[in-house]
Amino acid sequence: MARFDYLEPHSVDEALQMLAEHGDKTRLVAGSTDFLVRWRTGVWRPESVVCMQHVPGLDYINWNPDDGLSIGAMASVQDIELNTEVRSRYPALAAGATSFAGVQVRNLATVAGNICNASPAGDTLPALLAYNAQCRIIGPSGERSLPLDELFVGPGRTALAAGEILTEIRLPPPAPNTGGLYIKHSPRGAMDISAVGVASVVSLNDDGTCASARIALGSVAPTPLRAYGAEGRLVSQTPDAANIAEAARLASQSCNPIADVRSGADYRREMVRVLTERTLQHGVATAGDTPSFDDIRRLAVQTAW
Amino acid sequence: MTTTTQFKVLEQNHPRVDAYEKVTGRATYASDVYLPGMLACKLLPSTRNHARIVSIDTSAAAALPGVRCVITGTDFPDIRFGSGALRDRYVMPREVVNFVGEPVAAVAADDEATAQEAIDLIKVEYEDIPSVVNPLAAMGEGAASVHPDLESYEGYGFTLGHNVSTLLDADRGDVEQAFRDADVVVEDVYRSQGINQGFLEPMACVADVEPSGRLVIYASTQGPYQIRAGLAAVLEIPVSRIRVVPMELGGGFGAKLRLAFEAFPALLAMRTGRPVKLVNTREEVFTMNGPRLPVTNYIRSGVMNDGTIVAREAYTIFDVGAYLGAGPNSGIGHGIGAYRIPNFRLRSYGVYTNKIYVGSYRASGVADMTFAVESHMDHIAHQIGMDAYDLRLHNALREGDVSVSGAVVPSNGLIETLEAIKEKIDWPRQLEDGHGLGLALCEWRSGSGPSTAAISVNDDGTVSLLTGSTDISGSDTSLAAIAAEALGIPMGSVVVAKRDTDMAPYTGQSGGSRVVYSQGTAVQRAAEETVQKLIALAAERLGVPEDALGCEDGRVYVMDNEPQGLTFAQLAAASITSRGGPIIGTASLSSMPYTPVFAAQAAEVKVDRGTGQVKVLRYIQAQDVGVAINPMAVEGQLDGGVVQGIGRALTEDQQFDPDTGAVRNPSFASYLMPLAIDLPESEVVLIKVPAEDGPFGARAVAEPPGFGPPAAIANAVYDAVGVRVKQLPLSGERVLAALNGDYDDIPFDVEALRLAEGII
Ligand SMILES: Cc1cc2nc3c(=O)[nH]c(=O)nc-3n(C[C@H](O)[C@H](O)[C@H](O)COP(=O)(O)OP(=O)(O)OC[C@H]3O[C@@H](n4cnc5c(N)ncnc54)[C@H](O)[C@@H]3O)c2cc1C
Repeated sequence: MARFDYLEPHSVDEALQMLAEHGDKTRLVAGSTDFLVRWRTGVWRPESVVCMQHVPGLDYINWNPDDGLSIGAMASVQDIELNTEVRSRYPALAAGATSFAGVQVRNLATVAGNICNASPAGDTLPALLAYNAQCRIIGPSGERSLPLDELFVGPGRTALAAGEILTEIRLPPPAPNTGGLYIKHSPRGAMDISAVGVASVVSLNDDGTCASARIALGSVAPTPLRAYGAEGRLVSQTPDAANIAEAARLASQSCNPIADVRSGADYRREMVRVLTERTLQHGVATAGDTPSFDDIRRLAVQTAW
Repeated sequence: MTTTTQFKVLEQNHPRVDAYEKVTGRATYASDVYLPGMLACKLLPSTRNHARIVSIDTSAAAALPGVRCVITGTDFPDIRFGSGALRDRYVMPREVVNFVGEPVAAVAADDEATAQEAIDLIKVEYEDIPSVVNPLAAMGEGAASVHPDLESYEGYGFTLGHNVSTLLDADRGDVEQAFRDADVVVEDVYRSQGINQGFLEPMACVADVEPSGRLVIYASTQGPYQIRAGLAAVLEIPVSRIRVVPMELGGGFGAKLRLAFEAFPALLAMRTGRPVKLVNTREEVFTMNGPRLPVTNYIRSGVMNDGTIVAREAYTIFDVGAYLGAGPNSGIGHGIGAYRIPNFRLRSYGVYTNKIYVGSYRASGVADMTFAVESHMDHIAHQIGMDAYDLRLHNALREGDVSVSGAVVPSNGLIETLEAIKEKIDWPRQLEDGHGLGLALCEWRSGSGPSTAAISVNDDGTVSLLTGSTDISGSDTSLAAIAAEALGIPMGSVVVAKRDTDMAPYTGQSGGSRVVYSQGTAVQRAAEETVQKLIALAAERLGVPEDALGCEDGRVYVMDNEPQGLTFAQLAAASITSRGGPIIGTASLSSMPYTPVFAAQAAEVKVDRGTGQVKVLRYIQAQDVGVAINPMAVEGQLDGGVVQGIGRALTEDQQFDPDTGAVRNPSFASYLMPLAIDLPESEVVLIKVPAEDGPFGARAVAEPPGFGPPAAIANAVYDAVGVRVKQLPLSGERVLAALNGDYDDIPFDVEALRLAEGII
């Protein structure tokens, strides 16, 4: 039987020490929802795990107008879904969280784990990218900060060095007049890996033109990615139907999907276009509003509009 | 004729007789069986889809501490078996593997992890031989042969065509002339996908050898006698040396009708003298145990301008995979549907390919046929400019018509089911853009097969009911209700015995919509015999003639003088010392008359023009159930069937690698069954036209509900957005392609098949 030792640090420092001591023979785990699946199928067979569950004080979600939102490494996806600040100020992230698995998994899964697992299909990742998330990382040689965009290196691969821990995710406060949405495209309304996921966050100037637009795509490239070209097409422009359609077209060209059991590559590309258009339209329509969570949830997971 | 009001037990909801055990988690499943000294079994799957086994080196596995026994195909007798007459399969391959996943070795070890470790140490050397994965290609003369020696196999009838395992046919009338006379000819090709049964409890069994040498198998099964027969065949031991104990069944849907993997732990137990348990993983269920495989359906109809269908031709190609694990379809007649068509030519081929073998699933093949036939009906309606409902009504079978098999159609509620859904969904109706309505009509027959029952009267006035059928979806509760009704006692006075193949009389499988209908009839007759014996005894004791006695509420009484009588308890006590002895009623039967079951269904959908995704907003079904033995169980069957049908229509898709035939999505993370969130509220109408046969007029209910959704939903998609998708599932990708006009018809060379038969 593939067995492993279970190590239980009670502080980040202790966790760092354990990671340093056991090197690549150990694996850090948070909710273990990815870990247990890979362990059972033999993909990951560490000699030990360093389980973060009992490190106190890491499951916070804090908001203030100056720093924005900070998410502790042990905050669960369910915590994010239920958080009222997230729902009102970061609706695309609330959409990502509510589209994620089912309640039982959401209760265990952490946002940090979703990031560090670096699956292109991670459902919180497009929204985190679209909100310009910053990662706070602590390692053997101290602390550093990295834009989330620079963290993803490839499928399942991050820029985290050996022994480093992601301790906090920070989202800057949204500009006034901002709206956003994430849509998960999958054949089922729950418990499914997204075939495509798109998050858009738009901020409008007083004259109705786009101050900024950030679009992030999931499941259509080796990593979740920003569609910078499409974003640029909208900045300083009126986000009318034609401009949004053009941005959506550019977004679909900026990705590089594969074909697999879930869908073909061309279909995925087309879904990027459709979902970019829909999320942008919704972002523009709701900019500055506080959308109801019921709407967010319905739009995020419904299989047919 | 029976009317529903006279029932005391039937037509009322009864909680399941096993509810308490199930709800408290104390029901015992095969994987809950723990015997002293028990070993764990693991299997080694083939990595090739067609290869000669050059050698299997089990030495390292056998040497691993904790490993007790390793077996391969040559450890079994050199005997082929089959699911029917054709014996095309070794229980474990001896020389040639035919699909990726086929078990080629089994290990028994002290624990599962050690067994798995040993499996990983087994080295198999293969030599690939040409293979074929696509059934249409497999029928071509140049294609690789899956079974080069097929003609020498026991049970092979006559040469049917290259790689063809079975051919069913049905003909009537002058088909060519009827097509010439028709005003319009409509032709289509449909394809449906591979489907996994999706039962909750993976296959599981424990094998033990009693001190006497008898083999005992605890199994998750729908067919204990069929496992017994299968084991007897492949192990070359008499059935009397085997006892099969059916445990609680965590779902089967046809996947557990026959011998599955029980022979592996059985042989390992015989070799080691210790109990051996095998519990499959979900991946093993997906890759080793037969699912349904893709079906291609060519269908052509000749129609008159008034909507009368005068001719039908259907050629159906069932992929059966490596072995005929189950009959490819449940009868040729489903190419006609629930209609009267005077001239027809129907052909159904079962074609071998190098992929997992075909298994049974909830009326195997009929859902595929219904998708084709009922989509085709809509196509016909649109071609001749007739309302799709009117077309169905115009051609629907009626009492006195002759069914495809030649049986006369008895009274039934087909027309009533159609009328019920028309009213409920308000057909026809103009909907907003992207929304649509679709219909489907489903036909099936109540299943028969060996059915036996014995009822004995206990001296507290209750009865014990013994049948050989394993409980499936609450069938024990329905059988108890039938017994209670026939005996005139409350449900609570019927004890349903736990049974095994030693104890209960031989009985057919729990499947094919036969348990309540056929087995229920046996129970009813056994109860009637019990009542007769109770009356005879009472007559003797009371000194009155039998025909002066009535039987009601657990008591036999003098009709002219009701206070004078004897309770069942008194009679049971008296019987102990009576001339006739303890009271037992028994019944046994095998075949039942043709009793059709009809259901009409309607879907309302919304189609997303951007993504192609389809959402089912409403789903209505009306089914003629005859009499609802236990209404909530009936509705449960109807709900479950429609849910499975919606999965088949929209998301479930067992995919196979085009080169190796390997299952590409062997997990519930990638094989997508619908969830509550994906489903509309259930809307069920029970039509009750009592059957002329069957217990108290009940018809079978279990199978038809799952047939309709693919066609009803496809028809609704057409109504919504004007595209006809002829291939399942109706994924967003497929529907969007159709909306964009880049959707090709499925190629099908019907000429070649006609020519092969000499039809030009
Ligand atoms: C049934 C099921 C359904 C799922 N559905 C979805 C879904 O719909 N959408 C989706 O996006 N995902 C889904 N997942 C995947 C999984 O739940 C998520 O990726 C989850 O966010 C992982 O978080 P975790 O805390 O469980 O991570 P773990 O499994 O504990 O860890 C995952 C990886 O991240 C690393 N890690 C975790 N925390 C840190 C940290 N603080 N610093 C450095 N490294 C860290 C671990 O070392 C490991 O490599 C599903 C999983 C299951 C089992």
